[in-house]
Amino acid sequence: MASLITCPHCGVRPKEEFAIRGDASLVRPAPTASDEAWHDYVYVRTNPRGRTLEHWQHVAGCRRFLVVERDTFTHDVHSVTDGAAFARENGR
Amino acid sequence: MIRDYYNRNALDEKLRGAPRPPGVNHLAIGHRQAVAMVLAVAGEEDSVESLLSSATDFAVRFSAPGEWLVVSENDTPEGLQRRLNALCSGRAHIVDQSEARVLFRLSGPATRRILAKGIGLDLHPTALATGASANALCGHISVNLARTGEDTFELIAPRSLAQSLFDDLMTMGREYDLTAAFAA
Repeated sequence: MASLITCPHCGVRPKEEFAIRGDASLVRPAPTASDEAWHDYVYVRTNPRGRTLEHWQHVAGCRRFLVVERDTFTHDVHSVTDGAAFARENGR
Repeated sequence: MIRDYYNRNALDEKLRGAPRPPGVNHLAIGHRQAVAMVLAVAGEEDSVESLLSSATDFAVRFSAPGEWLVVSENDTPEGLQRRLNALCSGRAHIVDQSEARVLFRLSGPATRRILAKGIGLDLHPTALATGASANALCGHISVNLARTGEDTFELIAPRSLAQSLFDDLMTMGREYDLTAAFAA
């Protein structure tokens, strides 16, 4: 697993300072969406080999939620953005 | 019954007895400094940051975006709260932390090597300049780390974890004959 994460607020930090909070690419369905859509959103996860978007929380540092784009195969970290900035950019 | 935590340091029991003379590498435990947390109101982060950096009576420690710790050696906790309230005038929430945080001041030529045993940060002056500060993990305890000089660092830890952090720091510094005492 990627061992160094460059937090946009705190700088380069070891992964022990973070808590992984799951897939960041999921979009919450509308409240009136079908049971199947909600079931998929809540329970169904892919197990990708390659690039993934994940929520990482910097619990021992700035305590912000970050969106980390990393490769599960090569362990490269491609980008780290603040969760709020990521949500704004993607219109969530 | 009123428990006066401010006048009873969390490390009183650890540092009982006559103080030993400070060695080359020394850990001083802050005594009676005022610590306050400043939380900027949404949208006011930049103005609060410039207000805080314009003041010279206290040290400002970065802890998160829109969140700082302010350490003052001269103020009482109430005095610091009043001063910050007047300075930020509604742009930030001020929370007194004087009783809730313990300040550790490490100094001496081996401080970087001592801290490297517990902190996974690059402590070289080019990576962490004098005056820089950030939250970091020391062992398993989250602290606010600040570089106050070439070989002096200050750690601000939650009171409830202070004894554990103190033991950790003394173990980390045993190789370098780290001594500990309350700050004068």
